[in-house]
Amino acid sequence: MNRSYLAKSVARILALVTVCLMISGTAMAQESQEGKQKLFLDGARLWPVYCSQCHNARPGSEFSPAQWDLIMMHMRTQSNMPAKDARAIKEYLKGGLE
Amino acid sequence: MASTKAGVLATIALVAVVLGMVTVTAAPGALAEDAEAQAKALKQVERELRQLRADRARDRKLIENLERKLDEVQTLNHQVRTTNEQLQTTTQRLQASNQQLQTKTDQELKQIQAQVAEVPSQQQLAKALSGYWGTHQFTLAGGAAGDFIYDHKLNQNTFSVDFEPIILYRPNDWLAFEGTLEASFDPGSGASFDSPVDTAQIFLNDYMEAVVGIFDQPFGDFYEDQGPFWVNRFITAPLPFGAAALVPPTDIGMQLRGGVQWGQLGQDGDYTLWVANGPSYDSSLPEPVVGQELNSNTNIGSNTNGRAYGARFRVYPFPLDSTLGRLELGASTYNGKWQNGLWLYTWGVDFAYHRGNLQTRGEFLSAYRQMPTGGPDNRQGWYLQAGYFLTGLRLPFLSRDLNSYLSRLEPLVRYSGVNQRAVVTDEIATNPSFGFSGSPSIYAPHAREVALGLDYWIAPSIVWQTEFDLELPRAGGTTYTFNGASTPTVGSVGATPNDRAILTQLAIGF
Repeated sequence: MNRSYLAKSVARILALVTVCLMISGTAMAQESQEGKQKLFLDGARLWPVYCSQCHNARPGSEFSPAQWDLIMMHMRTQSNMPAKDARAIKEYLKGGLE
Repeated sequence: MASTKAGVLATIALVAVVLGMVTVTAAPGALAEDAEAQAKALKQVERELRQLRADRARDRKLIENLERKLDEVQTLNHQVRTTNEQLQTTTQRLQASNQQLQTKTDQELKQIQAQVAEVPSQQQLAKALSGYWGTHQFTLAGGAAGDFIYDHKLNQNTFSVDFEPIILYRPNDWLAFEGTLEASFDPGSGASFDSPVDTAQIFLNDYMEAVVGIFDQPFGDFYEDQGPFWVNRFITAPLPFGAAALVPPTDIGMQLRGGVQWGQLGQDGDYTLWVANGPSYDSSLPEPVVGQELNSNTNIGSNTNGRAYGARFRVYPFPLDSTLGRLELGASTYNGKWQNGLWLYTWGVDFAYHRGNLQTRGEFLSAYRQMPTGGPDNRQGWYLQAGYFLTGLRLPFLSRDLNSYLSRLEPLVRYSGVNQRAVVTDEIATNPSFGFSGSPSIYAPHAREVALGLDYWIAPSIVWQTEFDLELPRAGGTTYTFNGASTPTVGSVGATPNDRAILTQLAIGF
């Protein structure tokens, strides 16, 4: 009985993951220059507020643009912040060097 | 007319006769005087002649001097002319050389300007570097800290150190891995190593992410967001997330999580749903009892075939542009079998509020654990903390330097407590360790703690923290003591005597 329960649980999880993968949209529209500027400005506004929610906001100069790519993935997970806000903060921290 | 001429001639002849007569009459005396006069004149002439000779000799010398000087001037003039010609020649050469240099400089300047114009922009450089390093990226984050701990009741003091690097790996835009290593040092000798977080993060879309692995329990705010040394404003964890945990700090399983902006910028909501191996309790005890500690890491689910299920929702009601500050409201639940057929049910609510230099946060959580025999193991825990950055504070009677130091301070206060019916005396730890004072008062059935803190921020992620803890247990309860036996001895304990402890720590986030 325990085995069947475990099998059902695993099956449910796999089904859920499959559905999520199916509905996921991976295509990202190429952002225009104006769009990037807006992202940068939004990031400048969001950065001190969102980061300070848990810790002091760290300046973009502390890490390289490539490192910010990684760290912002990590921070998006930690904070559950909306993806577009994570992109804006990343754009700001990278100094528009994307 | 003829008579006139004759008259004139007659007059002349008359005068001549008269003069002849006079001359003949005066001749002897006149001759003598004339000779004397001639002698004087002669002398005069001789004097003048000598004078003339002397003048001529002087003039000759003068002329000779002038001629010599003229020669010198002519020689000098010649030299000047020669020098002038040489200077003119040199000047012409210099002008020619200068012209060549100018031409060469202009050419080099043009070359440099052309080279500068060819240098890639910052964007191009970033892209080139990105291509150079490749799409697979590693980086190291994390933290390290050194402590000094003094506990009054146990009269113990010790240094302590902890090191927690986080390895981040990103193969592409939608996949990342995180591994946290922890090294801490035990009493006596040796060190202990742990890996409390190892996850893969799969970004499915803008609204959903899957996390698989061993992760900080997404229950409440503390485990996930306040754990790192330099993030937690205090050195110790609040009681319900520290010494008397109500929910396992980590779990192995899978999460689905994401966030969305539901209103204006800053008005967000997020969710985390997870399934994990579930809770387990101190497996060193021969039998389960009320008040038994949770295992800090919930590893392979060997003691239950059930899973734990959790959900957490969070909302930020205020838009970014409002002047109301940043408010976070959250609710969590975590439920799982800790033993076959026996469940642990937990729920909690939390908040955080930031406005200007003020930051506050608090959580309340409740646990209901089904026991094999007897009544349930009910526990409640809470904490409330506040801090205020002194940034911008300027005291006129202090110097500029002292005001600069003052503005880096953040005074803090935290009140936390846990209620549970019993404690297991075998589990009471008295050894100070990283983030723990060693005070047995923390393990009281109704523990209460007031923590006063003072943080000095050296940099945004470097802080020197000092914490003063007052342990003030509210009431006693039941004690279970195994002491090697298979069944516990049941006793009772009053409110454990108060204790005081001081901890100071230098924490660095990197």
